[in-house]
Amino acid sequence: MKKFDYIVKVSEGLHARPAGLLVKCAKDCSSDIKILNAGKSADAKRLFSVMSLGVKQNDKITLTAEGNNEDNDLEKLKLFCEKNI
Amino acid sequence: MGFLSKFKSKNTIVAQQSGKAVTVNEVPDPAFSDKILGDGIAIIPSENKVVAPISGTIVQVADTMHAFCIESDDGLEVLVHLGLDTVKLEGKGFKCHVKTGQHVKAGDPVMDMDIEFIKNEGYNVITPCIITNMDKIKKITAVTGTAESGKTGVIKYEI
Repeated sequence: MKKFDYIVKVSEGLHARPAGLLVKCAKDCSSDIKILNAGKSADAKRLFSVMSLGVKQNDKITLTAEGNNEDNDLEKLKLFCEKNI
Repeated sequence: MGFLSKFKSKNTIVAQQSGKAVTVNEVPDPAFSDKILGDGIAIIPSENKVVAPISGTIVQVADTMHAFCIESDDGLEVLVHLGLDTVKLEGKGFKCHVKTGQHVKAGDPVMDMDIEFIKNEGYNVITPCIITNMDKIKKITAVTGTAESGKTGVIKYEI
């Protein structure tokens, strides 16, 4: 398993639209992707799961990837976060 | 009674507001029009009342009350997003009548959204109602036109 931490920059946090785009990116990954925030864990491939975390601006999230392609998948997610959230 | 029960079958989602039901393609936000979040319908509301579009459990209400998620009794994850970019209102113009974990029936009041206030603040009040777990859905049909909240079937689906 690989992981990275990220501090959410967008003022609205991970609400519907950015959450949806993140889920779309996660679904493109073959690995199992999880998001952790404040002790809670969510399946990054399920919109409701991500939204239930209620991630706000300046929250630190941890993204984990587990699978055969975890290095590439995590790189993809890192680029996504830096560009979109 | 028989006529109304046609629209309350478990494979129909009813309008969450009264107004005009349009396809998601007409929503001026690619998160919805490109079906990134899922598929469904959008209502251009004519009234402030927002009701549950389907029977189920309230999974989440945004802190800023601009969106809520309901998991239907038959396993659909439905997102209702009240207006576009309305997260920026930080709760102004919205009133919530339900709590997370509460079970509601289709047609039960969930929120009030002050459409005049929200429009005056410069936001679009069009409200998408989207099934986000489309992998569960075999077929979905949007029914457009005049809609009455809690009564008019606006999405027909097959699981």
